[in-house]
Amino acid sequence: MRKTYGKLLPGMNLSDLGGKLIVIEGTDGAGRTTQIDLLKPWLEELGHAVLDTGMTRSPLAGEGIRRAKEGNNLGRVTQSLFYATDFVDRLENEIVPALRAGFIVLTDRYIYSLIARAMVRGMDPAWIRSIYSAALKPDAIFYLRLGIDHLVPRVVFSRGFDYWESGMDLYPGHDMYESFCSYQRALLDQFDRLSDEYKFEIVDAAAEPKIVFARLQKKVLGILDSDSRKEYLSHFYADLVAGLPRVEEIRRLQSTLGRATPEPGLASHQVAAGATNGNGKYASNQK
Amino acid sequence: MDIHSNVRIGPFEVFYPVQPAASRVRRYGQDHFPGRLFIVEGIDGSGKSTQLSLLHKWLQSKGYGVVFSEWNSSALVKDTTKLGKKKKMLTPATFSLIHATDFADRTERSILPLLKAGAIVLCDRYIYTAFARDVARGMDSDWVRDLYGFAVKPAVAFYFRVPLETAIHRLLGARDGFKFYEAGMDLDLSADPSESFRLFQGRILDEYEKMTPEFGLTVIDATLPVEVQQAQVRQIVNSHLEKASDLRMRS
Repeated sequence: MRKTYGKLLPGMNLSDLGGKLIVIEGTDGAGRTTQIDLLKPWLEELGHAVLDTGMTRSPLAGEGIRRAKEGNNLGRVTQSLFYATDFVDRLENEIVPALRAGFIVLTDRYIYSLIARAMVRGMDPAWIRSIYSAALKPDAIFYLRLGIDHLVPRVVFSRGFDYWESGMDLYPGHDMYESFCSYQRALLDQFDRLSDEYKFEIVDAAAEPKIVFARLQKKVLGILDSDSRKEYLSHFYADLVAGLPRVEEIRRLQSTLGRATPEPGLASHQVAAGATNGNGKYASNQK
Repeated sequence: MDIHSNVRIGPFEVFYPVQPAASRVRRYGQDHFPGRLFIVEGIDGSGKSTQLSLLHKWLQSKGYGVVFSEWNSSALVKDTTKLGKKKKMLTPATFSLIHATDFADRTERSILPLLKAGAIVLCDRYIYTAFARDVARGMDSDWVRDLYGFAVKPAVAFYFRVPLETAIHRLLGARDGFKFYEAGMDLDLSADPSESFRLFQGRILDEYEKMTPEFGLTVIDATLPVEVQQAQVRQIVNSHLEKASDLRMRS
C-alpha cells in the first residue's frame, strides 16, 4: 500500500491509490519540462492516462504566489508556507484523485525542490520536513542533475536572469550573475544531500535531450513493470494488442533499450504467441 | 558565504540572522527582544477583542509605542484566503496552511521587526487560534504545532474563558448568520449553520482547555464585568512592562 512520509491528512485514504507517482526533479534549466513533454505523449500512446502537474499550478495558491513574487517582498518563512499551500492543494485535489483513478502522475518537481529552497533560505531542516511529512512517497524520483557549468549557459543564455532564480532575495548587493551562481550552487548542494536521504535516481542532464529521454523511458518502463495490476490488465491486452499497429514500434523501442523482458501491458502469452524474426522485428499473430 | 547557519527557526523561538559576517548564531527568545508581545485568545463572543482594544487605548495613553495586529490580515496572502473561502476550496490541510502563510507574513513583516524596534505588539488571536481550529478540523496536533514553530513566544497569552452558551447568547442578534468556515460547515457536523457553529465552537473550546496547561495561557474569567477583566489584564501587562527596560516610547 502507498505510504506518506509520516503523517496522514484528514480524509486521505491510501488503500486505493493504484496509479503511479513519478517525480522529475532538478534545478532550473535541467530540462524537466522538456522531458515531461516527451514522456506524457509517449505514455499516452502506450495507453496510459497521464496527469502532469507542477509547482504553483494550484487553483488555490498559484496566482497568489505569482502576485506575491512580483513585489520581491515575500519573506522566507512566508514563501516556504505559500509553496506548501500550493503543494497540498494539488496533492489533495489533483494527485490523489488521479492516482485513485489509476493515472500515471508526472510531477514537475515535488517536495524535494521545496525542501531544498527552504533549506538554502535557512529554514530549520526538521521544520520543513515536518510540513511535508504529509506528502505521498512516490514510485520513483528522477533527479535530472546538471552541474553549475552547464546550468549557467542553459538558463542564462536562453531567458536571462530572473530575480528569484538568481536567489536575489538571499544575496542583496551581489550582481545577478554572482548571485545566480551562489544560489544555484547552494541548491545543487542541497539536492545532493537530499538525493542520499530520499534515494533519488540520478540522470545526467548534461546529455542530449533525446538520450536523457531514452534513459527515462527505460526507467519508467521498469516502474510500470512492477504494476500490481499487470496480470489483471494482461487479460485485456491479449485481445487488444493484436489489433494495434503500434506494437511493432513498442517492440523496437524495447530492443533499442536492451530490455530482455516483455514490456508491461503486453501480455506474456501474447509475446510467447508471437515470434521474432531475424531482424528483431516483431511478427504479430494478427490474422 | 555560509548562508546555512544564519537563520534557524525552532519551536516558539526565533533565530534570525544578525550580521551575515557573524559566525555566531544569535538566539532571540522573547526576553531578548526589546519589545513585548501580548496576545488575546478565546472563542467568538468571549469579549477578547473588546478587552484588547481597551488595553490598546490605555497603553497609548501611557505613551508607549503600540502596534495592533489582527488574525488573517496579511495583504500578501488575503486574496488567496478569500478565494479559497468564497469558492469553498479549502480542505482542513489547506485551511491550516493558508492561515499559517498569512501569519508568517505578519510575523516576518511586522511582529518580529516591531519587537526588535522596541514596540509593544498586540495580537487579536495568535497561534493558539490555529491550533484550536485546525485540530477541531481533524489536523494532527503535533503537525500543526510544528507548522507554527517560527512564531515568537508572547510575553503573556490571555485566554478569555467563557461557557459556550454565554458566548452564543452574546453573538445572537449581534450578527446576521454565520459564515461557512466560521461555523465549521466544511465538517458536515450539521446542515443547520447555527447548530454547526455550536458544535464546532464546542470542539474549539475543548482545544483551548487542553492548551491552557500546555502553553501556560493566562486565564481571564470572561463572565466577569468588562471593567473587572480589564483591571486584571492591565495589572498583568503592567507587571511585565516594569521589567522591560528597552521599550521605546513614542516621542
